Amino acid sequence: MSERAPTLVLDRASVAYGDVPVLEELDGVVHEGEAVALIGPNGAGKSTLIKALLGLVPVVRGRIEVLGRPPAQARRDVAYVPQADTLDPDFPVSVEQVVMMGRYRRIGWLRRPSAADRAETAEALERVGLAGRARDRFGTLSGGQRQRVLLARAIAAKPRMLLLDEPFNGVDAVSQHALLEAIGSLKEQGASVVVSTHDLAIAHLACDEVCLLNRHQFGFGPTGDVLTPERLRATYGGHALELRGDRVIVTQT
Amino acid sequence: MILFEPFHLPFMARALVELVILGVLAGTVGVLVLLRRLAFVSDTLTHTVFPGVVIGHLMAGDDGIFWGALAAGVVTAVLLTLLTHRRRVSEDAALAMLLTTLFAVGVVLVSRQTGFTSDLTAFLFGRVLTVSEEQLVQTAVVTVVVVALLAVLRRPLLLRAFDPEGARAAGVRVGLLDLVVNIAVALVVVAAVRAVGTILVIALLIVPAAAARNLSDRLAVIVPLACLVGAAGGWLGLVVSYQASVEYDLRLASGATVVLALVALYGVAYAAGTVRRRAALSRARRRAALEVAA
Repeated sequence: MSERAPTLVLDRASVAYGDVPVLEELDGVVHEGEAVALIGPNGAGKSTLIKALLGLVPVVRGRIEVLGRPPAQARRDVAYVPQADTLDPDFPVSVEQVVMMGRYRRIGWLRRPSAADRAETAEALERVGLAGRARDRFGTLSGGQRQRVLLARAIAAKPRMLLLDEPFNGVDAVSQHALLEAIGSLKEQGASVVVSTHDLAIAHLACDEVCLLNRHQFGFGPTGDVLTPERLRATYGGHALELRGDRVIVTQT
Repeated sequence: MILFEPFHLPFMARALVELVILGVLAGTVGVLVLLRRLAFVSDTLTHTVFPGVVIGHLMAGDDGIFWGALAAGVVTAVLLTLLTHRRRVSEDAALAMLLTTLFAVGVVLVSRQTGFTSDLTAFLFGRVLTVSEEQLVQTAVVTVVVVALLAVLRRPLLLRAFDPEGARAAGVRVGLLDLVVNIAVALVVVAAVRAVGTILVIALLIVPAAAARNLSDRLAVIVPLACLVGAAGGWLGLVVSYQASVEYDLRLASGATVVLALVALYGVAYAAGTVRRRAALSRARRRAALEVAA
């Protein structure tokens, strides 16, 4: 079997907003078809790392490489999924229009969406289980369904890397299942996935690797090896409780 | 017929054409202002164009107004874009300062003139009944340029309005796009300044777009509808102010009457929108009930 190509390389990377360092000394590698969970408390720098992977926050020391390129030059092949509840529910766009936004780079400014664009849009909606809602207004959907639409938008862009910012926050069980399925099938097609989450169970379920973050890196590696009580306690400080030796509850996220 | 008769007079016909063109321009830009929640930024631009109007008038009389407004509009659009992207000061406070400072500069300059009050009134509220053919051409040219620009940029504009982080992530140059929007708003003010004045133009931007939003959830409908409401408000306002003055000897300022006509249309749209939302809600409930039953 051939070695899978690395898609994300963190090499002693430090990330800063202006003069304020946010994340320091990150190290790790993610390969094609792998998913990595970013885990850490609020303010740990998970969203900042995602922005750095998009080239929107500068790397001040070390190196970040996305798909073999500096992050800002890899954007064409990277899709970003924001948290659905950061978007205005009154905005007058249909579900179909939102998903079509994922095709904008291919469509350009003037051309009308082609039959292929429409087919990709429809297929992406199908994959998140919302094919019947294409014509509904985005804001009329539930929070979990909106999150699925945003994932469909990313799928329609045919990315080689997918970045998701807290996609499971406040999401119902049906939507969570649909999101996990869709992420799984993207991985099978060779895309790499980076997902920030509070939810350790989801990290276990969906991700091969975990990156424990709180300003610094507290671990990066296979989920089973990294999600240990000791490391979680180190990452979360006083907010991790141990139950019967091997299970950990994080009391503040 | 009462709705068409006034426009046999050439000056009324010119006023109508001007307001219809402005309706299309302000309707299109207004929808963008509404989506981006830029009402206060737009209001600031209407005030910061004012000193340009005064300086243009001082330098070259009535013909200087357009060019003075254009220069001030572009300069302040750039300033505002920088200001709202830096966030050193709270955005609202910075805008309010800029708005009043430049407005005061305009008032100081105009107060040094003889005939101060009449000039000031004209700059603030416009003189739609004295619109010249040259002005019509200027308004039409600005409208074509702005509408074409926004049509070309419609996809990045929509993405940026809906999801700014997503737009940045997709490589959209958000700063540049915001500058284009601010300049588009400034150009509406520039085009409208002699007809409706710097104060009333904000109504032309906001009210038709808000009315249209009540009537539809689809942008492909909202934009033309906003243009239509803007144009209809202009027409209705002119008819009312003309008939009031001819039939009842009541002098109603035409610019302000147009604004009130727009607000009346908004009232109608709001009522229709309420009915529409109720109907949509009961449809959604029925569908939910069917889904549960299935």
